[in-house]
Amino acid sequence: MILRVLSSLFLALSAVMLSLPIVVVSAAALNSGRTMFFPPREPTLERFYEFFVSEQVWVEALTNSMIIAFGSAALAVLIAWPIAYSLWARGSRASKVLAGLGSMPFALPPIVFGVGLGFLWSFLGGLGAIWSGVASHAALFLALPIVTISIGLQSIDRSHLDAAATMGATRAVTFRTVILPQTIPYTVSGFFFALVLSFNEFIVMFFVSASSYSTVTLQIFNSLRNGYTPTMAVAAVTFIVVSVVVFSAVARWGDLPRLMGAEPTKS
Amino acid sequence: MSAVSEPEGIAAPVPAAAEGNTPSRWPLAQVGLWAVILFLCLTPFILIFAISFGHKIEGASWEWAFSLANYQRVFVGANWPEEVTALYLQKLYYSLYYAVIASVLAVITAFPFTYLVTGRSRRAQSAWLVFILSSLSLSEVFIVMGWDVLLSNRSGLPMVFKATGLTDWLKQVGWFDTLRDWGLANPRNVKFKTSVSATVLTMSYLVWPYAVILLYPPLSRLDRSMVEAARTMGAGPWTVLRTVILPTVRLPLMGSVLLLFVFLLGVYVAVTVFAEPAKQTMAVSVYEAVRGNTLNAPFGAAQAMVLLVTAGIFLALGQWMSRRAAS
Repeated sequence: MILRVLSSLFLALSAVMLSLPIVVVSAAALNSGRTMFFPPREPTLERFYEFFVSEQVWVEALTNSMIIAFGSAALAVLIAWPIAYSLWARGSRASKVLAGLGSMPFALPPIVFGVGLGFLWSFLGGLGAIWSGVASHAALFLALPIVTISIGLQSIDRSHLDAAATMGATRAVTFRTVILPQTIPYTVSGFFFALVLSFNEFIVMFFVSASSYSTVTLQIFNSLRNGYTPTMAVAAVTFIVVSVVVFSAVARWGDLPRLMGAEPTKS
Repeated sequence: MSAVSEPEGIAAPVPAAAEGNTPSRWPLAQVGLWAVILFLCLTPFILIFAISFGHKIEGASWEWAFSLANYQRVFVGANWPEEVTALYLQKLYYSLYYAVIASVLAVITAFPFTYLVTGRSRRAQSAWLVFILSSLSLSEVFIVMGWDVLLSNRSGLPMVFKATGLTDWLKQVGWFDTLRDWGLANPRNVKFKTSVSATVLTMSYLVWPYAVILLYPPLSRLDRSMVEAARTMGAGPWTVLRTVILPTVRLPLMGSVLLLFVFLLGVYVAVTVFAEPAKQTMAVSVYEAVRGNTLNAPFGAAQAMVLLVTAGIFLALGQWMSRRAAS
């Protein structure tokens, strides 16, 4: 009994600790003045209007963030699909090497990858262009859709494939009617993982953008030196809300514990 | 994110009979895929390697070359062999130092948390995972911003300490001097910025959700009936932890520390904000050389290479450990 109470207490304490800086930043977003106070003085929602509508810098940064996040997540999923598929269907040495190479940027310190991408794009003349930012983030987060799609493919019921084969379905038909529908939730999860992380990524974007455009995280970092403004905190709140909504959706329509590596539910 | 290394045991499920109608453009697509991956994921690292041998042209840019001068500067200083300076080795040392403490701290505190969460219902687990993933994806920039507000002298915890009289109480019992010795106080009040503690705390916070995600698979697959059995046989919670739980998750625990450690080697924002100028890391120095004040891309590349090799060594160690665990 005491153990049960203690464990609940520990969980609660961890949650508080984890949300402490988030709460502080969120509360600071309500400040009415130009400086950041905690607790906020004269709470107002005006900063939200500034962030989303009236202040050009933030609106532009938000637009760039959105383009890069959606573009790179889509690109990552498109590249990850054939990699995960050949890993599952053939499992050959070559496909393992390919998957390993694709996951490498995510496993190594991002600052190193950022520096390398900076060199690469400056040789190709793509430094500071949005498309190179999209490609960079797609490469950085490629590992995520590879993992989720692989998990999805592994969860396909073998008997469905056998049934399709016995009934004379061609490979293309099997793919369309059995494999694709069963892996869509996992593909979508991979897409959203890449999307949210791209939204929040800083250091690679910093090297790749070469100060010619800014995303929200870059904009915030640039303003760090001049001291905090409540508008920055609004950006933080927006990001947290986006993350919570996206992951709740994944949990609602997909099997989040399974995606994170728990045993499949016995049903 | 452990499934990358788990492709073993996947049988080829697509019937071989279907092989006949494989379109002939398939090899071409395969080649294209390889090209894209090699281009996006490998060339950046190759470029860093190649450029690290180049040298700087004063005032402008850099040129290709083959000299080991940059590496020499990292390891023994620019004026070697007349004098040996270990300025950059010291930066590497701080990179390792912060990363080790922060990753161990994160795993030690995330372990009981994850264990307790995996004992809950599937629904509760989902809710916790949403919470964890949201904070995991939160940008380094925001986390640093939050802790900065919390720890800064004018607005955060130091103000709370002063207002509640905690500072005075600390002074009375004499612990204030201890805090000053640790660099956590100035003569008037407690001070958390800039300090090693603040840096390590923030870095540890940064990877804490990752630690939970990494420990989640092994702990959720842990056989709970073993724990129950040990409990009914009269073992105390401490004994159960030591004799049943820890032996089964020893390797995942060490593996998590390694992965987080490698990730933390590259942390930039937290170190620039929370560490003293004399105790900054190699990641900061890479940034300074490539984009900052000093503008010496080849030297930055050499340092990035050193970081990369360090990270590679520890990742290989992790791979070796997990392979040993599997066999």
